[in-house]
Amino acid sequence: MDQSAGTLNLGVEGMMLIGTIVGFFTDYYTGSLLLAFLFAGLAGVVLSLLHAFAATSLRADQVVSGTAIWFIGWGLSGVIYRALFGNYLVPPTIGTLPHLQLPILTSIPIIGPILFGEDPVAYFILLMIIVTHYFLFHTQIGLNLRTVGEDPRTAEEMGVNPIRYRYAATMFGGFMAGIGGAYLTIAVTGTFYYDLTAGLGFIAVALIYFGKWKPLQTFLGSLVFGAVYVLFLTIQTHFQAIPYQFFAMWPYLAIVIILCGVAAKSGGPAGLAKPYEKRE
Amino acid sequence: MPIVSLRNITKAFPGIIADDQVNLDLFPREIHVIMGENGAGKTTLMNVLYGMYRPDGGEILVDGKEVKIRTPVDAQALGIGMVFQHFSLIEVFTVLENFAIGRRGGKLALNLSNLQSKVEQAEREYGLSVSLDRKVRELSIAEKQKAEILKVLFMGARVLILDEPTSMLTPQEASALFKSLRAFKDQGKSVVLITHKLYEILEVADRVTVLRKGRVVLESARDKVTPAILAEATMGRSLSAGEYPRHIMETKGALTVKDLSVMGDRGEDAVSSATFEVRRGEILGIAGIAGNGQRELVEALVGLRKAGSGSVQLEGQELAGKTVRKRMRLGLRYVPEDRKRRGVAVDLPLTHNAVMRDHWLVPFEHNRLLNFKAIKEFAGKIISDFGVVCSSESSQAASLSGGNLQKFIVGRELLRPTQYIVAENPTAGLDMAATDYVRRALIDHRNAGNGIILVSGDLDELITMSDRIIVIYRGRTSSPIIRAEFDKLKIGALMLGQASQSISPVQ
Repeated sequence: MDQSAGTLNLGVEGMMLIGTIVGFFTDYYTGSLLLAFLFAGLAGVVLSLLHAFAATSLRADQVVSGTAIWFIGWGLSGVIYRALFGNYLVPPTIGTLPHLQLPILTSIPIIGPILFGEDPVAYFILLMIIVTHYFLFHTQIGLNLRTVGEDPRTAEEMGVNPIRYRYAATMFGGFMAGIGGAYLTIAVTGTFYYDLTAGLGFIAVALIYFGKWKPLQTFLGSLVFGAVYVLFLTIQTHFQAIPYQFFAMWPYLAIVIILCGVAAKSGGPAGLAKPYEKRE
Repeated sequence: MPIVSLRNITKAFPGIIADDQVNLDLFPREIHVIMGENGAGKTTLMNVLYGMYRPDGGEILVDGKEVKIRTPVDAQALGIGMVFQHFSLIEVFTVLENFAIGRRGGKLALNLSNLQSKVEQAEREYGLSVSLDRKVRELSIAEKQKAEILKVLFMGARVLILDEPTSMLTPQEASALFKSLRAFKDQGKSVVLITHKLYEILEVADRVTVLRKGRVVLESARDKVTPAILAEATMGRSLSAGEYPRHIMETKGALTVKDLSVMGDRGEDAVSSATFEVRRGEILGIAGIAGNGQRELVEALVGLRKAGSGSVQLEGQELAGKTVRKRMRLGLRYVPEDRKRRGVAVDLPLTHNAVMRDHWLVPFEHNRLLNFKAIKEFAGKIISDFGVVCSSESSQAASLSGGNLQKFIVGRELLRPTQYIVAENPTAGLDMAATDYVRRALIDHRNAGNGIILVSGDLDELITMSDRIIVIYRGRTSSPIIRAEFDKLKIGALMLGQASQSISPVQ
């Protein structure tokens, strides 16, 4: 969404990281999952505003700004954790999200648990992919947004405010990244540790290239990444003698290799990462 | 009553007054041509009217009432539309989607079929047919322009401003455009044409305004002006004699291209078995609509792109496989189209740029070190011989205007030992004075017994300059046409890929 509007957001990683901690402590203190996701999303929005301000209003280099956001998110998540929880020997935990248990459906052998046994957020994400796709390619606002990404000057001539669209798109990206981060602590690990996202934010950016700026294809890419990830996780358990980092590296390497083949030829939004300067 | 009146419009940029108290009236049922050199303030003035720039002074009246135009959207609401040289079309969208951008009042979901019937109605009304379902990037330049004009009219323009609309068109396409413009005029529109081509003005204008250095120097009805009057008003001096002096040359040697095939960026056959030769003492013009393989051909000639097959021989020496530097040593040099990216390093001083290809040669090299004295002398020689306006040899290349930068680059190439020059659109974007200078320099170089390959999108330029012309269409070259048989319409037809058999090979 971000990139469709022409803002390259390398800060996704940072926004996810801030989401991991905010989601974690909100859940820890309030016990409310909804609030946890909401606040994590909002924390992502705050960071994204910083990025949008630098990239859109100050016309800073978006790679530099995004990298700075990454560091901010990375540092801040650690600091907040220390401030709130000190240095526990046994890390505090929260219960992870319950997986769906639908009568009958979940008990279908093999495909039952796969298709119907996930946690609610997973379904929310599937829904968001379809919603985003519809929004980008079948609505008036989506068309306007893509126009901003291709050529902000044309957008402005046609009565579309590029600055407003870029802000909104970056904030939406921040919100989703925050939720994504919170998902890791709340639904997957149940606890917080430093740099939990381990580059997933960057992978997300890479997957957009893989998906050629189309949500459905991007989702396909994430499935490929997930499959490779799980594959090596499984292989790793069988080869205990080899340091696990060796296996952990492969999914990322796979992305690089795939991107070399796919993305080299794909054309993204023409106005990507180019600040829009109003002529005056 | 005029639809639009500009009153004492002034617009300044840091260090320059682009428009100085300019007055202009635009009437319905009229084609008004605004002409002037680069930097005369034509485009700036129209950008003020279109809401791209805010004027520093003056007022704009529409239908006799004073208005404030802050954005293009304001201008459109008043019925003012503009077609830029770089079209405001999104390449990856279909034509119809481009019409849909920014529409209000509809539902959340896009309703393109409803829009389509409205646009089709407009197509009939204005007599412009555009394939609405095709992606913009698949269209030719003339088709894109048609789509853009239709879009502007569709959005309600009564005043249609076109900025240099014919610069990329063939003669046939240009006359089709003029026919449309006359039709708009008859429908009561006011058409404004920004140009610096004299013959266009004589062909379509009802009224002419000439700007020079931000001021109106001439405002007149079409039938009261002659080319000489317009040229003098534009440049502030009379145009030097129309024909350039040419000496008849004896052929001493040639650069021969035989069956040359070159691949494009996407692996396509950009140039297929091109065959031609350029002799010493002649200018060989290569005509063609941009994107028909000219760029790839030029790059293969100078060594920037690998040729697929075929041969390029410089007076018997095979060039295939030789680097740019080796070709240069053999006497083949290059004036690139993209001055700022290929012609110079913009952030470096003129001295460095002057020896950019020759720094390793005597006298610029001395005991493996740079000889700054010789370098400075050479840069100074280019500047004085070619009338480059700059503060000193150590000015940054970026600080020069387009025309002066081009004079500098042409000077650099011509002042070094060379027998063959490939010049790619050498006057694109230059004003009349600078264009004249560059053309004259190239002709002089020809008269001194050197061969020039002139690739240009401007057919008038090719006809003025060339001894022979070949046309490139979809990567294939035509047989040469000699100067005595130059015919604009025939060459135009070849550029469009028509009637390729009708011209017999001439030797």
